[in-house]
Amino acid sequence: MADVQALSLSREDRLRTVARKAFWRRFRLAFWQVGLVGLAVAIWEIGTRIPFLSKNFNVFDPFFVSRPSAIILRLYDWTFGAKAGFLWPHLEATLIATLIGLVLSVSTGFVVGLLFSQKRELAIVLNPFIVALNSLPRIAFVPLITMIFGLGLASKVVTAWFIVFFLVFFNTFKGGMAIEKELIEFCRTLGANERQITRSVRIPNALGWTFTALPNAVSFSLIGVVIAEFVGSTTGMGYLIITSLATLNSADMFAALTVLSLVGVVLVSLFKLLERRLMRWSPEFREQG
Amino acid sequence: MIELNGIEKIYLSKTRDVHAIGNISTIINEGEFVSIVGPSGCGKSTLLHIIAGFDEPTAGRVKVAGKTVNPGTVPSALGYIFQKDTVLPWRSVRDNISLGLQYRSTPRADIDNKVAALLKLGNLQGFEDTFPHQLSGGMRRRVALLMTLACEPKLLLLDEPFGALDTHTRTLLHKELISIWRQMRQTIILVTHDLDEAVTLSDRIIVLSRPPSRILLDQHVSIPHPRDVFSVRDTPEFAEHFRTIWKVLGQEFRDAQQPADLVGGLH
Ligand SMILES: Nc1ncnc2c1ncn2[C@@H]1O[C@H](COP(=O)(O)OP(=O)(O)OP(=O)(O)O)[C@@H](O)[C@H]1O
Ligand SMILES: [Mg+2]
Repeated sequence: MADVQALSLSREDRLRTVARKAFWRRFRLAFWQVGLVGLAVAIWEIGTRIPFLSKNFNVFDPFFVSRPSAIILRLYDWTFGAKAGFLWPHLEATLIATLIGLVLSVSTGFVVGLLFSQKRELAIVLNPFIVALNSLPRIAFVPLITMIFGLGLASKVVTAWFIVFFLVFFNTFKGGMAIEKELIEFCRTLGANERQITRSVRIPNALGWTFTALPNAVSFSLIGVVIAEFVGSTTGMGYLIITSLATLNSADMFAALTVLSLVGVVLVSLFKLLERRLMRWSPEFREQG
Repeated sequence: MIELNGIEKIYLSKTRDVHAIGNISTIINEGEFVSIVGPSGCGKSTLLHIIAGFDEPTAGRVKVAGKTVNPGTVPSALGYIFQKDTVLPWRSVRDNISLGLQYRSTPRADIDNKVAALLKLGNLQGFEDTFPHQLSGGMRRRVALLMTLACEPKLLLLDEPFGALDTHTRTLLHKELISIWRQMRQTIILVTHDLDEAVTLSDRIIVLSRPPSRILLDQHVSIPHPRDVFSVRDTPEFAEHFRTIWKVLGQEFRDAQQPADLVGGLH
């Protein structure tokens, strides 16, 4: 009994040591990362205040690059300060368009990809068109999309869909084709009919490949929406950026860029988490700790 | 139970045709445990595929339980274990084992009872909620076997099911397989590279020749049951059987070294 106690105590001790080491490792990492950002911000802030630098170099001229303190003030104005609430409708417009575009492109990309991987004839007939469409510089179509779908939500969603669809489609298609023949034959010997094979084998297998594309799909969807907002729109973060270019207002520009980067980081991390959750059966996402 | 009548299989292709199976005819009785051995590429897997209806013979006919096998339809009450892992990676052990029962729309309560019994049989209690990638290779094999057993097959086709396993795990699975077979008396066809395994487990051993293959030897294994998988190989009967079969099989392996004959006889 005493032995067991001693053993379990030392086991706890060891666990504590491991946890402590992990904590300091993470702390050091965060320290350096925050430090790096802090350094960049400091150079930016101070550089734009030194006349020699700001007069001679455009990258330190506050007219072009603003400065961190001004950007923070502007962000405060837009949210709770002088122009309180100004930011929200734009942020909301971009977010909603991004999410709708994502849902549409992921669902259609999944369905079409799975269908193509099952129906050989369909894939053979239509694949050349898809490959051709995919190799076009899709951004070149955004003005056309705006012309057709107008300055509102629709053209943002269509642009996002147009950019993300192929990503999801190709991933799902590849997954659908990569399924092992033996897996399907095995399930047949277990008594599955075609419909049951589709439901229990083909769809989950393809979904695995679709989920892997999610984090990229989110960031591409956001890219699509912002480009559509550049080209023609009356709301959204892309619209804010383009108007600040027109008024040559660098504080506005950087404030919008900051918000946009945060949106991107948050969305992508959320979807990475979601992917992890959905793919917890996969060895790549072995639960840690 | 199984009637193979003049089975021949030729794979046609642009580069070269492969005459895998020359001519195989035999009858396998209900409840028999038959092993098939033979040089690599002699069409053992192909033969199992044909029996299961995954593949069509070029000539000949297969009957399972009195019914002619239709390519594209798996005969009912047939279980098949592949050499590869065929568990569904996105399902837990429990959900894998119950898969066949779900296909049959078995009531929930019955599924639970049956899965519990099977987990016990396969010595996998406590792993119900584990995903396959967290299991060892031997455990995954057991899950695949339990998935099949859940459907209560009358005929079990095993294609080198223990090929990738270490001796220890393999011997334990041999023991489990024998005890399952003695309880349920399925007809079993086991394809293997391992003559030890064949002699340990089966009642009858069929030796195939190099391709185009035919039956070289059809040997009854007269070692009495119950056999102890650990000690059976020390018995004189074991050595005797091993020697008889190895004489034929070893010669075939030796001849297979000469590559002239290896590839199809069509040209
Ligand atoms: N789908 C296929 N298309 C063309 N040739 C094939 C196909 N399947 C098998 N073959 C050929 O048929 C022959 C027999 O193959 P099979 O897999 O049945 O051999 P095997 O006896 O199981 O060999 P091993 O012991 O190595 O598993 C081989 O020469 C193989 O190349
Ligand atoms: Mg084989």
